[in-house]
Amino acid sequence: MVSLAQDVASSHRSGRMSAEATWGLIMLLPYIAIFLTFVLYPVGYGIWLGTDIKAYHRIFDDPIFLRTLANTVIFLGLAVNIKLLLALLLSGFFVHERRWIRWLSFIFILPWAIPSIPTILSFRWMLNAEWGMINSLIFQFTFQDGPGWLLNRVYGLGSIITIHIWKYLPFWTLILVAARLTISKDLYESADVDGASGLQKFLYITFPGVRNMYITSTLLSTIWTLGDFNSIYLLTGGGPADSTQVLATLGIRYAFGMSEVRAGVATIIVALPFMVPIVVLMVKRLRGEDR
Amino acid sequence: MASVSVEAVRKRYGALEVIHGIDIKIPDGEFVVLVGPSGCGKSTLLRMIAGLEEISGGVVRIGDKVVNEVPSKDRDIAMVFQNYALYPHMTVRENMGFSLKLRKAERGVIAERVKKASQILGLDPYLERYPKQLSGGQRQRVAMGRAIVRNPQVFLFDEPLSNLDAKLRVQMRTEIKALHQQLKTTSIYVTHDQIEAMTMADRIVVMHDGIVEQIGSPLELYEQPANLFVAGFIGSPAINLIHGKLRRDGTRNWVATDAGVDLPLDGNAAGQDGQPVVYGIRPEHLAPSDSSGLPVTVSVVEPTGASTFVYADLSGAQICGVFAEHHGIHPGNRMNFMPRLDRVHLFDAGTGKRLAG
Repeated sequence: MVSLAQDVASSHRSGRMSAEATWGLIMLLPYIAIFLTFVLYPVGYGIWLGTDIKAYHRIFDDPIFLRTLANTVIFLGLAVNIKLLLALLLSGFFVHERRWIRWLSFIFILPWAIPSIPTILSFRWMLNAEWGMINSLIFQFTFQDGPGWLLNRVYGLGSIITIHIWKYLPFWTLILVAARLTISKDLYESADVDGASGLQKFLYITFPGVRNMYITSTLLSTIWTLGDFNSIYLLTGGGPADSTQVLATLGIRYAFGMSEVRAGVATIIVALPFMVPIVVLMVKRLRGEDR
Repeated sequence: MASVSVEAVRKRYGALEVIHGIDIKIPDGEFVVLVGPSGCGKSTLLRMIAGLEEISGGVVRIGDKVVNEVPSKDRDIAMVFQNYALYPHMTVRENMGFSLKLRKAERGVIAERVKKASQILGLDPYLERYPKQLSGGQRQRVAMGRAIVRNPQVFLFDEPLSNLDAKLRVQMRTEIKALHQQLKTTSIYVTHDQIEAMTMADRIVVMHDGIVEQIGSPLELYEQPANLFVAGFIGSPAINLIHGKLRRDGTRNWVATDAGVDLPLDGNAAGQDGQPVVYGIRPEHLAPSDSSGLPVTVSVVEPTGASTFVYADLSGAQICGVFAEHHGIHPGNRMNFMPRLDRVHLFDAGTGKRLAG
C-alpha cells in the first residue's frame, strides 16, 4: 500500500499514473464498491435516520422506555456474567482428555449449534403456565400450580436469561476450554510439587492463564447479547404488557409493529454511547495493544 | 537431605509394562544421573520418585519413609522441569518464593531465602522481571532457584538442559555440578546425553527398555562396561565393535573375524577357544601405526582441531580411530591401527555380557 501511495504520488508529479498503480486501483475497485454499498451506506443511512431529534422525544416520552432500558441492563449484566462464570467452571470439566467427555461435549454443544426458532419456541410451550410440560410436572409432584413463567416481569426476565444462557453457554465453554488448553501441564505438576491445592492452582495458574480470554469473551459477549433478539422475541415477545422488552425488541416493535422506523433506529442508537467504548476496547485487545 | 531407595519398582499402563523392576540405592548427598535412549523409562522413573506418576509395583523410599502413597507436595522434593515450568504471571521473586508462600512461611524468611538463592545463582538483577523477559539460560537458573529456596531433601532434574544451546548447556552443566558440591543435596538427574551423565554424575544408572543395564561411576562404566549396550552408549565417538571367534593356542590369544582378520588380545583374556565374541576397542585406544596392528583403508578424516577422527575400512567393517595428532592422514591411505591391548573389551556374542578378564 505504501509503495502504491508513493507510486500514485510520484505519478501525480509526472502528470500520469504508472501502469502498476492503475492496475492496483482497478483491482481495488470491486472492494471499494462493495464497502461503499454494503457497509458505509447502510450505516450512514441508519445514523441519518437516527438524527431526528423528534424520534428521541418520542421514545423518551414512551412510558415503557425506561423499563426497557432497565431490562436491557439487567439482561446484559446477569446473562453475560452468569454465562461466562458457568463457562469458566464447566471448561474445567470439558478440558479433561477422556473419550466419554469428548462425546459428551458433542451433545453439550447442541443447544448452540441448532437454530433458535424451534428450540426457543419449544421452550415457550414447555413454560406455558397452564399446559406446559414444566408446570404439568410440578402439578404431578406437588399438586400445586406452578408459577406463570412467562406471565410476569420477574419470571419472564428470569426465563429469558435462563434460555439465553442455555443457548450460548456451550460456545463460551469451548472458547474457555481452548484457553485452558494453552496452559502448559508442567505448570500444574510444578504446583503439585510446590504444594498447591486445587483452589490455589486455579487462582495462581488457571485464572491468570485464561484471564485475557475471559475479559475479551465478556466484552464480545456483551456486544452479542445486546443484539440477542431471538431469546426475548421468541419466548415472551417482550410481554406481558411490554414488561420484558429490551432495546433490541423495542426497536423492532417501533420499526415494524408501529411503522415508526426513526423511533426504532433511535432506540438502538441510545445504546451506542455504551457500546462504542466496548467495541474500541475489544478491537484494541484483539490487536494485542492492551496487554 | 536424605537417601533415596528404589526397590523392585515397576510401572504399568494397562497391560503394558514399561519399567520392569528397578533397584537403585542412592546414599545421602549423591548426584545420580539416569541416562538412556528415549523411551527407556528414565523420565517415568523420575516422575514416580517425584509423585507425579503412580507406582505400579515395588517401593520408593525417601529417607526411611516409604512414599508410594505420599502426595508429591509432602515428599519434600524439588523438581526442575525440562521446560522450566515457571509460572508466567509471577515475577522471578514470586516464582522463587511460591512454594514457601504455599507452605505459609513468614515473609521475612521467604525474602531471606530468595535473596540467598538469587545471590548463589546471580539472579539479583532479574528479581522483578517476568519469565518471558528472560533468556533461556536465565529461566533455567530461576527454575534452579525455585528448587533451592525450598532446601528440600532431594533435587529431581528432568532433562533440564535440553532446551539450551550447546555453549550454554556446557556452562550450566558446570554450574549445576558446582551447586551440588556447595549444597550437597541428594540429586537425581535425568538426561539422554551421555556426556552430561559422564561429566556431572557421582554415579550413573544406564537404563534401556525399562531395565537397569549397569550402575557405576563414570569411569567404571567407561572402563568396565557390563555389556554391549553400555559399551555402545558410553563414549563418543562410539566404541568399535567387531564380531569374531575367540582363538587361543596356548601361547597367545586373538579374535578371528569372519573376514579373516586377526584381532590381537593380551595374555589373560577370558573365554574358550572357538567361542563367538564381540571385540570392543574405543577409538581413542587405537594408535596409528605403519607396520603392526589392524590393516585398514582410510575412508573419511574429520579434524576437530584438538583431535582427528579417522574412519576406516577393516575388511568390510567400519572402524574409527581418534588421534591427538593429524599425522597427515588422507582418505584412501592404507595404514594400520594398533589397539592398546589392556583396553580391549571382550563380550559374549550371544548374551552381550562382558567376559571377565
